[in-house]
Amino acid sequence: MADGTLERAARAENAASSAPMRLAGTGPKDARWMGWVAVAVVLGLWELGCWLGNINSLYLPRPSQIVASMVKLFVAENLVLDLGWTLWRIFAGCAIGVVAGILMGVWMATSPRVAAIADVFIAALYPLPKVTLIPLLVIWLGTGGPFMLTISALGAFFPVVINTLLGVRQCDPGLVLAARDLGANQRQIVRRVLIPSAVPSIFAGVRLGLGVSIILVVAAEMVVGRTGLGARLFLAGQVLNTEDVFAVLVVLATLGIVVTKLQDMVDERLARWRPN
Amino acid sequence: MKAAVSSGQAPGTASTMTAVVAKDLGLAWAIRQGTPVVALEGVSCAFAPGEVTAIIGPSGCGKSTLLQIVRGFLEPSTGSIAYLGPDGSAGAAPSMATVWQSFNLFPWLTVEENVGFGLELAGVAKPDRQLRVREALAAVDLAGFESKLPRQLSGGMRQRVGLARALVMNPDVLLLDEPFGALDAQTRLVLQEQLARLVESTRKTAILVTHSIEEAILLADKVLVMTARPGRIAAEIAVDIPRPRGHATTGRAEYVALFEQIYGLLRDEVERAMRSEGN
Repeated sequence: MADGTLERAARAENAASSAPMRLAGTGPKDARWMGWVAVAVVLGLWELGCWLGNINSLYLPRPSQIVASMVKLFVAENLVLDLGWTLWRIFAGCAIGVVAGILMGVWMATSPRVAAIADVFIAALYPLPKVTLIPLLVIWLGTGGPFMLTISALGAFFPVVINTLLGVRQCDPGLVLAARDLGANQRQIVRRVLIPSAVPSIFAGVRLGLGVSIILVVAAEMVVGRTGLGARLFLAGQVLNTEDVFAVLVVLATLGIVVTKLQDMVDERLARWRPN
Repeated sequence: MKAAVSSGQAPGTASTMTAVVAKDLGLAWAIRQGTPVVALEGVSCAFAPGEVTAIIGPSGCGKSTLLQIVRGFLEPSTGSIAYLGPDGSAGAAPSMATVWQSFNLFPWLTVEENVGFGLELAGVAKPDRQLRVREALAAVDLAGFESKLPRQLSGGMRQRVGLARALVMNPDVLLLDEPFGALDAQTRLVLQEQLARLVESTRKTAILVTHSIEEAILLADKVLVMTARPGRIAAEIAVDIPRPRGHATTGRAEYVALFEQIYGLLRDEVERAMRSEGN
């Protein structure tokens, strides 16, 4: 009787503890194919619906038409060049913003005076939608490379500054003491303790910043660009070339997936910092 | 923890013979309203070379504060720290390294990188550094754990890394700030014994801040009992129990007598501290 109760309790405990493990471990691997099947089903229904309903491809082209258009864009119309331009603007600009953001964040975190001054400016500029800066930046910088890199860098800068600042401030004071105890000077404490301890937070900022950079570059290309995915998208829309619009959107969506997956991979490498 | 950590510096050099002397230390924290909180008042004591001194007292009595002043991380409001050479003249400041209650290991560095951190800052070349780190890890029985991260270790192992990280610097004075305070009772017993052996074999000057009377008696040559806030030294008690000491020592009559003596002093102080916390 008593044994039975104990056994049942143990079984319940085992079930409870193994259930989350199953969810976290084997679950996603088993379920991943379902996502692709769902995409295939949606595409099939889309194709069939357009075909049966005789829908004008000006409004909604069929997936097969979009694929054909995409092949045409890449093979005959050099879309890969536009993709290259967009990627360059996003990543080069973002890199500038990230480096500037980390430096500024660390500077603010280590100097109360700098923090007090910069805080006001950041509080004013951070909530401002950065797209609203496009007209001003065009007046100052024109519509070429410097403009594109600036708008992209601006997008990444603010999330990185704020996350770096928070990350450094949250550093365990015990670690700073331990480093001092082992002979670290102020500079070494910043480089060897404060910045490394803020890495997860900084990376969270980079993640946000890259997202903003992507939005800003594509938006800027749509408004003033002659090259880049945003420009191609806008031009295709102006001449009512819906297949091309969809094709460019698919390229942009794919870019998003690749960026997200890459970030997930970096995230896994940050496991070092996780407390347990 | 078997052998002594080999030293870059021979024992008995000028700085290792230096005594650390605290003269009339006082520390008051200014607070926003009311009178400042007096953490330490009129603390005078000497930490002789090669001697292990335990500082024991009720919570909040300023034990750790005293250690931070000795380390030079906190400026006392009154009094000073002096370093005296063997002939009584002023000596050079001895090198120090601390073992922390909360370990304070760098979580993003491996065990080896943690232990080598101070040597790296000091510009010790990699091959030499690696050698010394391995020796220090072997001394705390952690050979083979070089590439582990702190989070992969148990609490007791983490603190052994903390101990190796301090010992590898070969400090003149080893500061132990409640080193086993965050560990469970059994781990604590084992580590106390190991540390006692290590301290005996290295004959290092050490200052141990602790809550545990047992730890103080097992490890120290001298126990300073502190009063509740404001912290003063209530008594200085020599521990004349022969070494090596271990768990078996706790059954000896001298041990029990010392324990009772220190406990008697502490009980009054702890009660006083509890009363003043209550108001």
